[in-house]
Amino acid sequence: MTLLLSIIIFGVYSAALLAIGAVGFTLQFGVTNVLNLAFGSILTACIFAEYGLTGHSTNIWIAMAVGAASGAVISLLVGHVVVGAFLRRGATGFGIAMVTIAISLMVQFGLEAIQGPYILAYAATTHATMKIGGVVLSSGQLTTIIVAVLAMVAVHLLLRTTKLGLAMRATAADVSLTRGCGVSPARTRAVAWLLSGALCGLCGVLLGLGEGSFSSSTGSDFFITLAAAAVLGGIGKPSGAMIGALLIGIMSQAAAAVISPSYKTIAAWIILIAVLVLRPQGILAEFAAERELVA
Amino acid sequence: MSSGLIYYLSGLAILLGINLIAIWGLDLQFGLAGINNFAYVVFQAAGGYAAALFALKPAKAYGSFETYLGGFNLPFPLPLLGAALVGGLLAVPIGLIAMRRLRADYQAMAMLVLSLIATGLAQAQTGLVNGPTGLALIPQPLAGLLHVSPLGYNWIFLGLTAACCVIAWWVARGISRSPYGRLLRAVRDSESAVAALGRNPDALRMTVLIAGGALAGLSGGLLVEYVTAWGPASWLYPETFLFFTALIVGGKGNLAGGALGALLVPIGIIEVTRHLPAFGYPGLIDSLDWVVIGAFLLVFLWFRPNGLLPERKRVLRPGGAEPAGTGLRAVLAGRRAGSS
Repeated sequence: MTLLLSIIIFGVYSAALLAIGAVGFTLQFGVTNVLNLAFGSILTACIFAEYGLTGHSTNIWIAMAVGAASGAVISLLVGHVVVGAFLRRGATGFGIAMVTIAISLMVQFGLEAIQGPYILAYAATTHATMKIGGVVLSSGQLTTIIVAVLAMVAVHLLLRTTKLGLAMRATAADVSLTRGCGVSPARTRAVAWLLSGALCGLCGVLLGLGEGSFSSSTGSDFFITLAAAAVLGGIGKPSGAMIGALLIGIMSQAAAAVISPSYKTIAAWIILIAVLVLRPQGILAEFAAERELVA
Repeated sequence: MSSGLIYYLSGLAILLGINLIAIWGLDLQFGLAGINNFAYVVFQAAGGYAAALFALKPAKAYGSFETYLGGFNLPFPLPLLGAALVGGLLAVPIGLIAMRRLRADYQAMAMLVLSLIATGLAQAQTGLVNGPTGLALIPQPLAGLLHVSPLGYNWIFLGLTAACCVIAWWVARGISRSPYGRLLRAVRDSESAVAALGRNPDALRMTVLIAGGALAGLSGGLLVEYVTAWGPASWLYPETFLFFTALIVGGKGNLAGGALGALLVPIGIIEVTRHLPAFGYPGLIDSLDWVVIGAFLLVFLWFRPNGLLPERKRVLRPGGAEPAGTGLRAVLAGRRAGSS
């Protein structure tokens, strides 16, 4: 019984962490139609930036703010400036995937060069812990869950109730019609990169604090799991990403508890492949019609 | 020249040959047929493991200090043939999983994830190929039969590598120049046109995935027999992009471009910088190598996306005696000629 409870509770915690990143990833994909394979490296870069800027701050809220801000800046540089330039030059699908991979390699191994042979310890002081039916949850984990819920509500309200959200949804659906309505797709895309980067940085800082340490490859492994959540929910759909994150979070915790801890991520990745092969539009349908997912 | 330098250069030539085979294999898949195989290094890894397991004795013979499946103690050249065979066979499951009708970038991502899953499984299943530590003490070809100095053995191994390169070159050139190669280019340039002409693009892609996979397997087998050790750290997913960078820098879709890329990227950047005077901490140069590779990739994608030696433009001359063109127009011409 405790096993089941711990799978669910830590599953929810993993899901919270995944959801913050997955929503950022999927939002940017939906609006810009660029599959950003450098997302994981940007995530790592945010942890490094936060660690470097605040000198390993012990305050989790300051850490989150700095992480989100650095993520927004890096994402805008990578996505809007570099990838945008290649897009304007006429690069498509595979070319853009290659560009984001090249950026990813440069960032990841550049950080490895900075990091040196050390693993960097990273922890905010956690005070209280909470006990739910024999399962102990640290205050950092609890904060992660609360922040994730707040971020999800904020993204949802942004997309559904504001003019900016409407512009984003319109750009995702039909660029030329959007331009016809007097909305600048370029500016909307820039906002999408910013927002996605901020969520990426938030996710990175919380991941680093949760793990207690980080290295230059922290983000690239986590990114694939996060992409699994996004793809499972139907890539490009923020609400789908939240459900995907919940499923992936609980299933990977179950795999870790039932098979072995080394299968935690492998299970999520296998789900990703299965979804890509069997149902590339994700578990929530209706989406594939407008965007040419199946060539 | 000092004998140390000669020894080093002969080793470098062997690595060049091994990379050449791998890059030509990728050129068949990516340059010729346009398959975005981001799992390419897995084919090389599978060939490497196959050669290792075919060549090793059962684990008990070494006091069971490593655990693995099999250990068949086969004589040269069977491990190398097995490596090519396994590399080719691996194309079937990978092709069936990842070569669905997905958008190009989705397909690339599916391949990338397959590569990560393969690494994860090789590390998690310690009984398979000795987990994260990897295999060691892999016997070299004809080990124990030849009584030569290490340098002499290097020359023999270089000869073996050169022979494999010739085979790879012959296979790749044969495919590229054949009507089948023209069909593959046509699949790359316009899949729907090929389908409309009654050919099956999926089957065509699968066959070239197998052919390229066999070359990757052969290169992996040679590499493992040369360095005598093989573990998950040797084939992490960035290695795939080493080969892609080589093709994009050298020029995809032609053998000379692949060769130039092999000389410039895996040898020019990775191998030669190993012998720079050491600075910083150990491993710093390795990290910086990869930053340079990423930068190379970006710079070439921006300024010279077709590489230093671009693929020759193939144009059909309407009045020409021979069907000089390749690609879609040649297929069309061939069909027209066949029907009249």
